[in-house]
Amino acid sequence: MDISQDYFSCYGLSCDFSLDPVALRQSHRQLQQQHHPDRFVSKSDSDQRRAVQITAYLNQAYATLSEPLKRGIYLLQLQGMEPLAPTNTQMPMDFLLQQIELRESLEEISQAQDPETQMDSMSSRLQHQASQLESEFAQAYGSSNFEIAETSVRKLQFIVKLQQQLDALEGALLD
Amino acid sequence: MALLQIAEPGQSAKPHQRKLAVGIDLGTTHSLVASVRSGQAETLANSRGEHLLPSVVRYLADELPQVGIKAQAHLVDDAANTVMSVKRLMGRGIDDVKRLGESMPYLFEACDQGMPLINTVSGLKSPVQVSADILRALVQRGESSLGGELVGAVITVPAYFDDAQRQATKDAAQLAGIQVLRLLNEPTAAAVAYGLEQDQQEQGTIAVFDLGGGTFDISILRLEQGVFEVLATGGDSALGGDDFDHALAEWMRQERQIPAQLGLAEQRFLLRLARAGKELLSDVCSTELSFDGWPGDATYADLELTRERMNLLLDPIIDKAVRATKRTLRDAKVALGDIARIVMVGGSTRSLRVQERVADLFQQPLLTDIDPDRVVALGAARQADVLAGNQSGEELLLLDVLPLSLGLETMGGLVERVIDRNTPIPVARAQEFTTYQDGQTAMAIHVLQGERELVQDCRSLSRFDLRGIPAMAAGAAKIRVTFQVDADGLLEVSARELTSGVAASVQVKPSYGLSDVQIADMIKASWTNVEDDRSARSLREQQVEADRLGEAITMALAEDGARLLTSQQQQVIENQMQQLVVARNGHDHHAIAKQIEEMAKASDAFAAMRMDDSIKLALAGKSVDQL
Repeated sequence: MDISQDYFSCYGLSCDFSLDPVALRQSHRQLQQQHHPDRFVSKSDSDQRRAVQITAYLNQAYATLSEPLKRGIYLLQLQGMEPLAPTNTQMPMDFLLQQIELRESLEEISQAQDPETQMDSMSSRLQHQASQLESEFAQAYGSSNFEIAETSVRKLQFIVKLQQQLDALEGALLD
Repeated sequence: MALLQIAEPGQSAKPHQRKLAVGIDLGTTHSLVASVRSGQAETLANSRGEHLLPSVVRYLADELPQVGIKAQAHLVDDAANTVMSVKRLMGRGIDDVKRLGESMPYLFEACDQGMPLINTVSGLKSPVQVSADILRALVQRGESSLGGELVGAVITVPAYFDDAQRQATKDAAQLAGIQVLRLLNEPTAAAVAYGLEQDQQEQGTIAVFDLGGGTFDISILRLEQGVFEVLATGGDSALGGDDFDHALAEWMRQERQIPAQLGLAEQRFLLRLARAGKELLSDVCSTELSFDGWPGDATYADLELTRERMNLLLDPIIDKAVRATKRTLRDAKVALGDIARIVMVGGSTRSLRVQERVADLFQQPLLTDIDPDRVVALGAARQADVLAGNQSGEELLLLDVLPLSLGLETMGGLVERVIDRNTPIPVARAQEFTTYQDGQTAMAIHVLQGERELVQDCRSLSRFDLRGIPAMAAGAAKIRVTFQVDADGLLEVSARELTSGVAASVQVKPSYGLSDVQIADMIKASWTNVEDDRSARSLREQQVEADRLGEAITMALAEDGARLLTSQQQQVIENQMQQLVVARNGHDHHAIAKQIEEMAKASDAFAAMRMDDSIKLALAGKSVDQL
């Protein structure tokens, strides 16, 4: 197993945004079966260390490819771009205004009469936006329009952060 | 069901062809050793047919230590030399142990690394040595029952064990001369014990509900293609069956109006009565509790305890376990209805009410066929059999996760997360840091484990220095710190300065720092103190920012204040500086933020003047062509 190759190659996939998550999980399983340190317990120390490195690499690869946001960022990095560089902060005004509005409605949820319905509707709204941005990214990346792809992935990052905050809020309210 | 499965003829090799390996459950009160024989995992008994080995070691002056029941018999008459519950001391420092207080009747001494040593007639004993003595007894039992030398053992640890506790457990095995095939998390072991993966049809999500005397663990696993994958693990390390006894005892005291100030003997009496009542109600619906033999002067009438009454008392405690379970399901991104199997572990899951409530929560029957005291050892034995290479073809594989987040100390006593909890292991992660001061040539690396945001609330795992960084401006050095966690959950850290290549690395060995109680509180508190943490974090951040701004302005005033500003202008900035200092020393991060803003406003004009001035200086005497 070559751990300097890109994450797509190690699963025998082409560098593409769209992939089959079930197939990815299954090939990840198969590679783990083959390379996990548990398979090298009676082997030499260097074999064991190598198994730890390979499995750590596979875990990182799987974590990156199985999440759309991380997958998108990684694809752009393969093109030599750094979509999340701290200097990279410009966003379209209408998107920022929409973010402020979403953030406000998130804050209002905890005071709402029926927080669960509100959370559900917000969740599906975010889900909808996320999948829109994902297909935007897939199309732009597929046609080598990397600048547009970068904007979509940065927008997606905002949405994912909101989803995480919503999850945390849900946890706190249901406890 | 695996228990009823009949081994196929070619499937299990003859005993002499097998490599001998055991699973060991190294418990707080008792330990077990188990092995796979003729395709079945079974716990191994001693010559008297006893399976449970009490985790007690008694040290003698000129003889080998006694382990187990023999040692247990001397807990009272030779308390100072008879060590019990040593698991609670593993990976802990002398200061933590002192905080455990009177519950430990031993004479402790500290060695130079701060490890607690117990002063016995046969010399100073560390917790690692005591555990090693228990492990030796278990290995001997394994070798005599299996008839040969062992190639190694899988040893189980609680899922919430941190790096220091895992490392101490591995050290103990090394001391006892056993090859550790793997450290395995107890709930994961329990899931494996049922052999669910042997049925090719079986796949889905499994919950392991582990309620012991003092701790509660919940793990969510996915089984697919013979692979067990831990999705999330959680729980409450200060919740257990002991709480049931205390709730029942308190109810009895109130019912009979026994004064709240009780002596030790009276407390013990009530707890014993509570335990007896609890056990009786597994078979009958109602029982009479008798106060005969009450150690105090008063006499009390018998008291009726019904199952309904007991359930009312137990429910608030079980509620906590249910909440922790739901939280862990959310971490695993799994819905209640997705759970296909529920494995019950730990003595306290014998309680009918616990079984009712858990079955009710998941709307599913529970897996309780295997004795909850033995299920962990049996699972470890199955994993040991696989790791020793006794199975071929599609083998069982366990993919576990990191139980507690790992991070580094940064400015202001904050923890920067490097690896989040519930990340699959093995894992390697690198993070880049930089220097804070001009000309800084060394950096202290402080490795921490825990869920809280402040260094003081997390467990300190290790400290080391990276020296020989070439002197550069603040922020120019690039220091990459790499964490690597292996399949046992053990951490190795290395640091390298990228521009010069200077490197340092450590295998993390316990630096000791927190007590079991603190660990318990840490885990619990990480779920309740999120708000506190956030404001504490904001406070530190604002303080660091205020200090930075204050320093910069003080320096600027010293350099250019008199030259560029009128004394009145200087006075305005100095007044604002005093207000900033007052706010910075307070505890309100909003107030500090406000004063930082005010300070920035008050000094804006001055900053602009300095900028113009330096441009003028730079341009002085130069023509446009020269630029």
